[in-house]
Amino acid sequence: MSNKNEENLKGLFEKFSDPAEAEKMTEDIRRGEEILRRHPAPQPADTLIVDIKAKVSQAALRQRKINLYRKLAYRMVAAAAVIIVLVSITTKLVEKNKPEKSVTASAGSKMIWDDTDLTTLTTEIEQAEEDILALNTDQNGNGYKETELTELEINVTEISSNFWKG
Amino acid sequence: MTKSDDLARIIIGCKNGDSECFSQLVDIYAGRCYGYFYRMTGNKEVSDDLLSELFVRVVEKIGSQKGGSFEGWLFKTASNIFYDYLRDKQRQKKLFELEGNQPEIKSAETERLEDDEIDKLQKQLKRLDMDTKELIMLRFYSELSFKEIAAMRSEPIGTTLSKLHRGLKKLRELMEQ
Repeated sequence: MSNKNEENLKGLFEKFSDPAEAEKMTEDIRRGEEILRRHPAPQPADTLIVDIKAKVSQAALRQRKINLYRKLAYRMVAAAAVIIVLVSITTKLVEKNKPEKSVTASAGSKMIWDDTDLTTLTTEIEQAEEDILALNTDQNGNGYKETELTELEINVTEISSNFWKG
Repeated sequence: MTKSDDLARIIIGCKNGDSECFSQLVDIYAGRCYGYFYRMTGNKEVSDDLLSELFVRVVEKIGSQKGGSFEGWLFKTASNIFYDYLRDKQRQKKLFELEGNQPEIKSAETERLEDDEIDKLQKQLKRLDMDTKELIMLRFYSELSFKEIAAMRSEPIGTTLSKLHRGLKKLRELMEQ
């Protein structure tokens, strides 16, 4: 700390005026301050100092409590911020996982119930049934072999079981 | 340990809320701050109150004192307290007048007794304007450099130098009359 006792007053005045004027101004200040030194102000009474120290001690205690509550409040705010961040991260992670599951499920069902396969199988079953019906009709009139009929029935059963297997 | 190291230790203690350090701070600065208040107000009772208020405010606000000169901060706080007192006094005076009360008229005897209590310097200081008087007292009691005082008053150093020179010269002339 640079106090007035270490200050080069003349050097300071010389920045704003010529050296002779600076010398005179420095002397004016020195003599003015000498008057103040010759007329000291009264000192505070001892009882006042004791009273101030008591007040200061109480104020310091009050201030310590305030600072403690303030620190506590800051810590609570920090903890709340951490909790909020953690909750938001967790929520995001959960949300991120949810769509993936639904995509898998729909993909699975798509694999089992594909429309094109279903149509093909239905068409094949219908075709086989028509053949059986035709054979039954022909058996009565044209005399088809019994083995051909059995073969067709086996085909129908196979197609039907394939259909349910997917 | 040097004097400034000692002061730095006390200030750190105060910032940590140590009552003993505040007590030491009162011992170091009470005299100078009281001198400042007394020369500004010319009244011992008022100076007592302002000094108490100053140290309580120091306890409350010392946490906001960061860097710079502690004495600069302390005397800036003292100056603020003095001007708060002055404004309050003006408000009370106006309120008193609005209520239709006559200001208290001091008897010649009371005035003579009060004048006996205050010294010649205090009488002559009343003849200076408030700004010049405050500058002289700040310089004398805070022991701050012109650079610090100029920074505290938010004015160029040349202005501070010139005002203080004029003020002290006038005070000397008044005292020599």
